[in-house]
Amino acid sequence: MTIATAIVQGTPIFGRMFTVDKSTGLEEINAWPAAMIMASFVWLAVAGLLGLVMPATQMFDLDSGHFYTTLTLHGAALAFPFSFQLMVGVGLHRSGGCVGKPITGWLPAMCFITMNLGAALLTVAVLMGFKVSLVVMFPLPLVGAQMGIWSMNSVILGFTGIYLVLACMILLYPLLGLSMLFFGKKRQDLVLSERSLNDPGMLGMTLSALTLLIAGLPLVVVGTTLLLALYGVIPMSMAAWAAEPVVFQYVFYIFAHNLMEAMALMVSSAMYATLPLYLADGTRKLFSDKLANTALWILLLTSITSFLHHFITAYPNQPASLSYWGNIMSWGTGIGAAISIFTVLATIWQHGLRAEPGIIAVLLGWALYILDGASAMVTSNVAWAYVLHGTMWQSGHTMTVILAMSLMWMGVLYHHYPVITGRKLDPVLGTWFVRLFTVGGFGAAIAMLAGGAAGMPRRFADWNQEGWMLYGNLIMIFGLILGASFVVYAYNLLQSRDLSDTLGQRVGAT
Amino acid sequence: MLDFLFSGWGAFWVTMGMLLPFAGMFWYVIHRKSVVDSGPGTTPPAKLSRLEGYWLTAVFVIFVSINLASLKFMPIIATARAATGGLPVQEVQFTATSWSYEMSVREVEAGKPVRFAGRAKDTQHGFAVYHPDGRMLFTMLMMPGVSKPTTVVHTFTDPGKYKIRCLEYCGIAHHGMQDELIVTKNKAAI
Repeated sequence: MTIATAIVQGTPIFGRMFTVDKSTGLEEINAWPAAMIMASFVWLAVAGLLGLVMPATQMFDLDSGHFYTTLTLHGAALAFPFSFQLMVGVGLHRSGGCVGKPITGWLPAMCFITMNLGAALLTVAVLMGFKVSLVVMFPLPLVGAQMGIWSMNSVILGFTGIYLVLACMILLYPLLGLSMLFFGKKRQDLVLSERSLNDPGMLGMTLSALTLLIAGLPLVVVGTTLLLALYGVIPMSMAAWAAEPVVFQYVFYIFAHNLMEAMALMVSSAMYATLPLYLADGTRKLFSDKLANTALWILLLTSITSFLHHFITAYPNQPASLSYWGNIMSWGTGIGAAISIFTVLATIWQHGLRAEPGIIAVLLGWALYILDGASAMVTSNVAWAYVLHGTMWQSGHTMTVILAMSLMWMGVLYHHYPVITGRKLDPVLGTWFVRLFTVGGFGAAIAMLAGGAAGMPRRFADWNQEGWMLYGNLIMIFGLILGASFVVYAYNLLQSRDLSDTLGQRVGAT
Repeated sequence: MLDFLFSGWGAFWVTMGMLLPFAGMFWYVIHRKSVVDSGPGTTPPAKLSRLEGYWLTAVFVIFVSINLASLKFMPIIATARAATGGLPVQEVQFTATSWSYEMSVREVEAGKPVRFAGRAKDTQHGFAVYHPDGRMLFTMLMMPGVSKPTTVVHTFTDPGKYKIRCLEYCGIAHHGMQDELIVTKNKAAI
């Protein structure tokens, strides 16, 4: 039994959902993904509860400090140890099965440790008072310590946590993914569905790993410098350049923006790989692989520099030419999305679809991602940026992109779950999960976009003015529906039945 | 029309305008090919290729049109128009510090361009101006340590009390970082 299998087995409740199937000889590609997926659901439970606390603090007029604590923790838990870790878990399982290589050794173990330990340290720091929001808002961490709002110890702990999470996302996971793709010996006994790099189902994984590594390296350099200074290894004067707000903000958004794009590339690739498996006529082919690959390349090329749209309203400190470049590139991603829309719908039109909950979750997650893409393009336009930047519109955009990708990965997990655990999920509960998630996800997204359109500020603990509480109430209602969908999904995982258990088909036959 | 289009609610309806046709098409294709008839499609590939061409052309034209229409609302255009418009430009200089604004003036005249120029002293701050009816007119992002002030040129049309809010999270009293700007009637018009 591997360490990862032992971690899963030793975890109460959540461990039962992902007990690794050791009977198939696939433990080497199942164990670490199972541990990562399990851990991601633990963080989802944390993030979900915190997400509901935010509107509750506004409705019941609680201390605004609670709002900013939950704001920081909810965003960080949802984006990194839940969403990213779920992607890593399912993505690695896909990679292992596609290239026939084991997911063993120190790299996956370090990915798991750095992500979860980092997130835990950040959580402790936030509970100590380190309320800097999901995006750190540099130099707020240092200014807050200078003003005595939080302690320097919490800053050091928080930065250490963030650094460990970033080390997983920028270095360890991409290196693991790339080493599996390009190095090591293929083992036929581990090949589940062989794919080449020309396959859209594989290309996105490679592009995603490269994007994270390249776009994240400047942030690693800046983060390392700051951390060394915070620990007193180098004098603060040597880290002054890294502590410049402009330097930190630009390297942060070069990474953070491309992190979302890398996750989009990865999940689009997973969709291109999964959709053909559910075509009604059994052809197992997309309408056009070339078109699907073109969409991935366009998304990659346009997204790399579109991060400039984050600074449009800082004019003239960001020159108008760069802002407009960010504007054009952001709308360029829409061309990739248009190609993707055509490829997916033409594939279904040509070959029919077996509408099982997993693939429907993937497709509805993708539809939510299209809504998110439209909202992102609009807010990236220079003119609209001036009336939307800093409003709930952008919280809606960030939350929707994470939710959309999570729904897609949870859909893909339906396909991988029987391989990992040797058990199957109930399709009726699966259908209920999809229904609830769709209503909750689209509802919350549209409510937040409407709040932004009405000028409701994001990260702002005073909703009860200008009629904004209406949007707050809607966010709460749709948030509860989303929460219910997660409960249904978790219940389905908990009561999954053995593949050989005919009783399991009793419910599934409906 | 364009003024509404490039407002907050204009952004919302443009987004919905992109979502709703997609959602309709998405639902139709999935419903038709999984519930009504999941058999292989009979549409010839050549027809699908033509459709692909029409679809991508339409998307491209819509994207370009929207972005061309937005040029007028870019701040650099507003600055240039103010500079060449012949009207004196009113100056509002401000410094944002946690959690208040120091402003050179708090009263400006409607109908004359106002140049807002601001800096952040400690951490990142925003400066969003809200119309008395609750609409946000514009927002600015200030980062500490930059060489130039962030600027926007805006011409107010309606007199009244305008709210100013910080829209960049700046710590535990961020929501309290608010101020007011009085816009008076255009004296030349009285």
